[in-house]
Amino acid sequence: MLDWLVVAVPVLPISAAALVGVGIAGGSIAGEHAERRTRNVMLGAVSAAAVALALVTTYRVIGAIAPQVALGTWIDSGRHRIALSFTLDRLSLSFAALIAVLGLTVLRFSVNYMHREPGFHRFFAVLTLFIGAMLLLVLGGNGVVTFAGWEVAGVCSYLLIAYAYDRPVATSNATRAFVTNRIGDAGFVLGLVLAFMWCGDAEWTTVLGSGAKLDMLQRTTLAVCFLVAAMAKSAQVPLTPWVTRAMEGPTPSSAIFYGAVMIHAGVYLILRLQPIFEHSPAAMVLLVIIGSLTAGYGFFCGLTQTDVKSALTFATIGQVGLMFLTCGLGWWEIATAHLFAHTFLRTYQFLTAPSLMHHVIGKPIRPVPQWLARRHGLYVASLQRCWLEQLAEKWVVRPTSLLAADLSTFDHKVIERTIGLPVPAVSALSSLAAWEERRLAADAGAGPDTREVSGLLGFVAHKLASGLYWFEEKLVLQGAGSDLWRAGRQLGHRMASIEKLLCRPRYLFLLVLLTLLSVS
Amino acid sequence: MHALCTENSAEDSHSELRLKIAEIVADLGHVLPGQAPILNFVHHNTLHGFQHLPFDQALAEAERITGIFGYLPESDFRRLYACGRISDGDLEAVLNRAEALTPDTIVLEYANRSLRYRDVYRIAMVYGIERISTSHLRWSIEELGVLDRVEADVPPTARRGLLESIKHHQGGGRQQIPGQEVLIRELWRACLEKFGLDEAEFHPEELIDLSMQQAERLLGEFAAANEGVRGDEPVARRSMLEQAQKMLANTLNQVGAKLSLRGLLLELTDEDVLNHVRPLLICHCASFLDEGLAAWHAPNRSSGFYCAWRESMRRDWSLYLSEAPEWRAIVSALPEDARDVLIAELRRLGLPAARWEGYLTRIALELPGWSGMMNWRATHVGYPPNQETPVSLMDYLAVRLILDRIWLERVCKDVWGIQADLASLERYFRTHLSELLVRHALFRGNLPEYLAAKAQRLVELERNERLNPEPWRNLADMIYTWSRGNSVSESAHHTTYGSAWRLFRLAQHLGMTAPDLKALPRVQAERLLRVLDGFTPDRRAYLWLQAYERHYREEVFAALAANHGHGRWSKREERPEAQIIFCMDDREESIRRHLEELNPGIETLGAAGFFGVAMNWRGLDDQAVTPLCPIVVTPSNEVREVPRPDQTKQNRRHGRRNRFRDLLSKLVNHEVRRNLVSSHALIDLLAPGYLLGLIGKVFFPRRQNRLVRAAAAAFVPTVDTELAVNAEDDGTVATPENPRLGFTDAEQADHVTAFFHNTGLTYGFAPLVVLMGHGSVSQNNPHLAAYDCGACSGRHGGPNARAFAAMANRPEIRRLLAKRGIEVPEDTWFVGTEHDTCNEEILWFDTGDVPALLRPTHHKLRQELDRACRLSAHERCRRFASAPSKLTLSEALEHVIGRSTDFSQVRPELGHATNAAAFVGRRSMSQGVFFDRRVFLISYDPTQDPDGSRLEGILLTVGPVGAGINLEYYFSTVNNERFGCGTKVPHNVTGLFGVMEGTSGDLRTGLPRQMIEIHEAMRLLVVVEHKPDVLGAIYERQPPLRELIGNAWIQLATLDPDDGQIMLFEPGRGFVPREARVHEIPTRTGSTEWYAGHSQPLSPALIRPDSTTSPRDLARA
Repeated sequence: MLDWLVVAVPVLPISAAALVGVGIAGGSIAGEHAERRTRNVMLGAVSAAAVALALVTTYRVIGAIAPQVALGTWIDSGRHRIALSFTLDRLSLSFAALIAVLGLTVLRFSVNYMHREPGFHRFFAVLTLFIGAMLLLVLGGNGVVTFAGWEVAGVCSYLLIAYAYDRPVATSNATRAFVTNRIGDAGFVLGLVLAFMWCGDAEWTTVLGSGAKLDMLQRTTLAVCFLVAAMAKSAQVPLTPWVTRAMEGPTPSSAIFYGAVMIHAGVYLILRLQPIFEHSPAAMVLLVIIGSLTAGYGFFCGLTQTDVKSALTFATIGQVGLMFLTCGLGWWEIATAHLFAHTFLRTYQFLTAPSLMHHVIGKPIRPVPQWLARRHGLYVASLQRCWLEQLAEKWVVRPTSLLAADLSTFDHKVIERTIGLPVPAVSALSSLAAWEERRLAADAGAGPDTREVSGLLGFVAHKLASGLYWFEEKLVLQGAGSDLWRAGRQLGHRMASIEKLLCRPRYLFLLVLLTLLSVS
Repeated sequence: MHALCTENSAEDSHSELRLKIAEIVADLGHVLPGQAPILNFVHHNTLHGFQHLPFDQALAEAERITGIFGYLPESDFRRLYACGRISDGDLEAVLNRAEALTPDTIVLEYANRSLRYRDVYRIAMVYGIERISTSHLRWSIEELGVLDRVEADVPPTARRGLLESIKHHQGGGRQQIPGQEVLIRELWRACLEKFGLDEAEFHPEELIDLSMQQAERLLGEFAAANEGVRGDEPVARRSMLEQAQKMLANTLNQVGAKLSLRGLLLELTDEDVLNHVRPLLICHCASFLDEGLAAWHAPNRSSGFYCAWRESMRRDWSLYLSEAPEWRAIVSALPEDARDVLIAELRRLGLPAARWEGYLTRIALELPGWSGMMNWRATHVGYPPNQETPVSLMDYLAVRLILDRIWLERVCKDVWGIQADLASLERYFRTHLSELLVRHALFRGNLPEYLAAKAQRLVELERNERLNPEPWRNLADMIYTWSRGNSVSESAHHTTYGSAWRLFRLAQHLGMTAPDLKALPRVQAERLLRVLDGFTPDRRAYLWLQAYERHYREEVFAALAANHGHGRWSKREERPEAQIIFCMDDREESIRRHLEELNPGIETLGAAGFFGVAMNWRGLDDQAVTPLCPIVVTPSNEVREVPRPDQTKQNRRHGRRNRFRDLLSKLVNHEVRRNLVSSHALIDLLAPGYLLGLIGKVFFPRRQNRLVRAAAAAFVPTVDTELAVNAEDDGTVATPENPRLGFTDAEQADHVTAFFHNTGLTYGFAPLVVLMGHGSVSQNNPHLAAYDCGACSGRHGGPNARAFAAMANRPEIRRLLAKRGIEVPEDTWFVGTEHDTCNEEILWFDTGDVPALLRPTHHKLRQELDRACRLSAHERCRRFASAPSKLTLSEALEHVIGRSTDFSQVRPELGHATNAAAFVGRRSMSQGVFFDRRVFLISYDPTQDPDGSRLEGILLTVGPVGAGINLEYYFSTVNNERFGCGTKVPHNVTGLFGVMEGTSGDLRTGLPRQMIEIHEAMRLLVVVEHKPDVLGAIYERQPPLRELIGNAWIQLATLDPDDGQIMLFEPGRGFVPREARVHEIPTRTGSTEWYAGHSQPLSPALIRPDSTTSPRDLARA
């Protein structure tokens, strides 16, 4: 019975969000007069979750609940079984308390702040869902449950960055954030797969317990996989740019996502996997490197930020980098304490961001030292955030989107024509000019070909027929004319463009990959 | 010699061009937002650059340039009409006045009725007779059944007329009486026939595959239309190409008039180069303009924006990384002077010099916020941050043009392989007309889905027409066919959805039947439509606005007329118990009224809240001076707050503690985000405090605030202070350049005398005269200054009140005053106070100096004011959605205090949202009337100023200030997204000077949505208590007033001080008597009785504490 109390903690907010979500979709929750109901449901659900959490913590302290609670099987497939389990140790309980308190605070703040906004209900539903997801993330007893929370939190972040979905900048930034986080997910999923393979289970207790059993390479690989996930969520270099683009949402969502709770989720994952990291010196070194790079990056770029939200974001990046660094140095307690302290402070600062200027009138910020101030090149580097964004654009985004465009062209020009998809209605379009031409041609006995055919067979038959016709018409009857020349030129152009495509690095890369695959 | 000559002339023409460019850029200020940095927010007319034009023309001109419609949407006006805020009488009256629209001309006569323009206008305004799209028409017919019954909005009389004709129509009762649908369908057919239109209409989807008959019919129509065109290609195609040719010329001509090159490419490729340019441009702009948020700025910031940017650009890898072609050459060839950049870029674009101005306007208006801020800084040379970083709009435009060019080149090269200038584009498209048509239709037109999908695919796959022209031509043909087919039912410019539909709707509203219509000659029907055509949306909206204003104006006039001779204090025959001089602010109307209701022995007055004392203020803890006076004045005197002589020890402690508090504030606001490692420690140290603070602020804001204030007071001991207002007369004249510390006796006497003369307070002084400045507090609000005292440049007016009192209490000044004819009794004492309009708190200054004899009076007054504050809070609560509908006075006060302390509250108070009118005159004109906090009240006594010379000065300050506030609210309300700054929720404070959305958006100017939600957008009605001829003379003398009043930016009326007659000024006509309408004014015994239970705006009511309410009034309430 007590075990189910644990479930209530994340489920209460999630179901409240679902309830309101259904109401919004059904049209029963809309407009100003429904605000009171929405906010009561949300505040009630999160408060209830907080109370449940307090009870769970108490029972845990007096020992009435085990540190690892399994409520049954979630997924059972062949050799693998995934339990619906929760971990109730100091780390997860204190983290959950943090989420509940700050979540409640930000929800309460939003009641007045979001009053009369057209997206009021949507905002509350997503924020509450996020709180539920984060609770699931930290209380999750195995990697898969945690991953579920991890993903839902990511989706919520996407939805709130794109809160003003009528602004293209907001939506494209949201997408960027979402896609960057998928890199981290790849790491997480790979980590889970490896855990299943090597430890036989994704239960945190099992994974952490088997730290000593695995060999060094396995431990390091596992740690690195989860490290990638943590880096993406906590916006560590080089995956930082998404968070700097995430400031499009309303102030309270910026506060809880990027000032407080979500950006620390990566650190939580590292803390959770402490034994694995501790047994892998290489992973620890990596933590130190990434942490110090990020800390330096946040500090260096923060010096030139001129808007409050960006300035706070870079300060946050710097401090989270320091947390990675301290973890890497093995100072786990310091990292944990700093995480909590930082969360409180940053939430406060983000929420009061609109009034910062009234607190600093006449008190300008301390300028950088003279030797640094004079270095124009470094100033530009800081202002342009070390070009991380542009680098990613050039090396990742552009090649990917070009590849996608090429594939779509290939689909359209080759695959669809070969397979012969059902001809869509648009092919049957006609224009007056075509009609007119046909009528003229009917008088003259021939006309342009406006038929469209589909499928390889149809295509071959059609081409054969028209080829013969053309041969007869142009070569036999009129002699080789300009058409032949034009056809030749077109062929030349086509060949040239194929060659050009093949010379692009992404295709060279693909070719090399294909060769390798076929060889092996 | 010859060569030298040409060189010289080239040089000459170049310098001429430079002059021309400088002129153009200087002129841009007219169309750019003129908002100051947000800490100095002062209300001003959003369209200040158009103020030289009459109101309606200015709005039309602004719409032409910026595309923003300057009136409320017509749907809003119709809503106001439906709820009685605009009546038929109002519409009738404004139509009478609209002579330019010839309302009384007869359009046509039918069935023994003559139809006048005004009838058509009225129907068009109230019901809307508009062209709709074909799809809309089809949908209305199929889904709404508009051909099956009389339309729902047809008024009963017309409906009856229509339905009765059924009986006549059928003649005799043998057949069954047909239903409405027969009648309506017949009417519809009559409308179609009138214009020779065909009932059948193509469904857009029918054009997907033309049937033989359709094609033949279309072709037939088409060939007839294109008779005489000969050539090899099919007529349809050649005609398509011709259309594309026209489109090309049109489109290219629009560059510089309506489009920038970026806009053109957006239309043709759907690729917005601004998306690339904006982040690069804005990060440099923000860093350059920053006033203290960032720790690091460009080292050569002082050499100007263009120079600093150029230097940065050479070290920036962004361009290299984004694969912009030729950027290196562009950046390395940048000239020294920004003007040369502008000239070179505009020339390179191939724009004729005549269109340069238009092009630069376009460019500037694409990011109006940033352009406006650059322009403001450039034109306010004295603004302190300008000393370090000189700003020029030219620099900004140069940078913008260069960045634009880099990305425009990239797009043009990517898509067509050409250069980004007009000549290249024209060359390319002249030979690729089909591509132009397809692209234009896809990205600008509203193609149906089947065509859009095909076009989209073509653009993606083929990129351009160069290689494979055939699919482009075919698709262009199809699009052309569709666009022709879509308008097949056109006959000589008449369409089903345009002409027939409008006639159909109009006929129903006029009660015209099918036979009536049939009898109508076609020219007459066409004339009817022409009347509608000429009645454009802005004409309609302007009439609506006038009707809306008239409705409120008549209520005000009726109240003023009914109150004439009833209000107190037209002459101070008995000595008032106390006098309180408030700011003229509309928000003070309620507290004044309540105070007078509580104690009729108190006289209240109103004046601009700096009380005539323009000064540079330096408070005890301030590091620098702040000017406290209207924005147009630069003070010549400085006033300091100094500790009283016995407070030196206390002051030293105060200073020490205060410095410590400053240090702490610097730590938590700056250092904790600026530093890395030290912040780590600091964060850990401060976190528990922050957690408690956060929880307290969110869940217990009032208690937390009280606690923090108490703690601050305990930590930093308060010092008893006084003002250093006196200065020795050293024979010099104080000027803004050469300011004086304090005021000499003569200066003090001058200021005090002038103030007394202006307000009419020259006799009958009460024992206690209180000057009440005002300000506002809120916790988390970038727009704070917009709530503060406008007469003090968006600051608090308390120090001015205090300084005035300090001067007026000096015996030396009293003696000087007496010499100038103002006898202030010896027992009169002046006290300075400050009223917080957000939480209703009143701060009293220097009360220790009040003579012992006056202590009881003072005490009583404080109690009465305390109660008036509660009543005022109670009245304000009726407009807050969050306040319960029934509250006690204490609960109301708690509610407003709660708002002011809640940092999540985006509407701490509602500001000037209710402003609508301004009265200049004695309190007697408005005393005893409930004006719902909608009126600026300015005290002025016409009996002491028969020639109006003082009035002239008052109007010169009150006019622009009142108009500024009112018009900023007006424009922010009518279009909050474009004239205002939208919702506060995503705002992000930038560089301490503005807000933007997200981290690289445009700066938002104007008022946020949260400030204007309850505002009623109408022009300020100024009622002056004086003779019309005196005002007429002032009007003639003063160009600024002629501009404001003559161009109808404000409305002016006079109230005769003797007989109470009200005259309204109409531009072009002069003063005309008010239409004497019988208008009953409700009477109540107290304000509370009138507003209780209402949350919407209320009309004026007479407040007569002694009269009994008539039963009829009660029934009506």
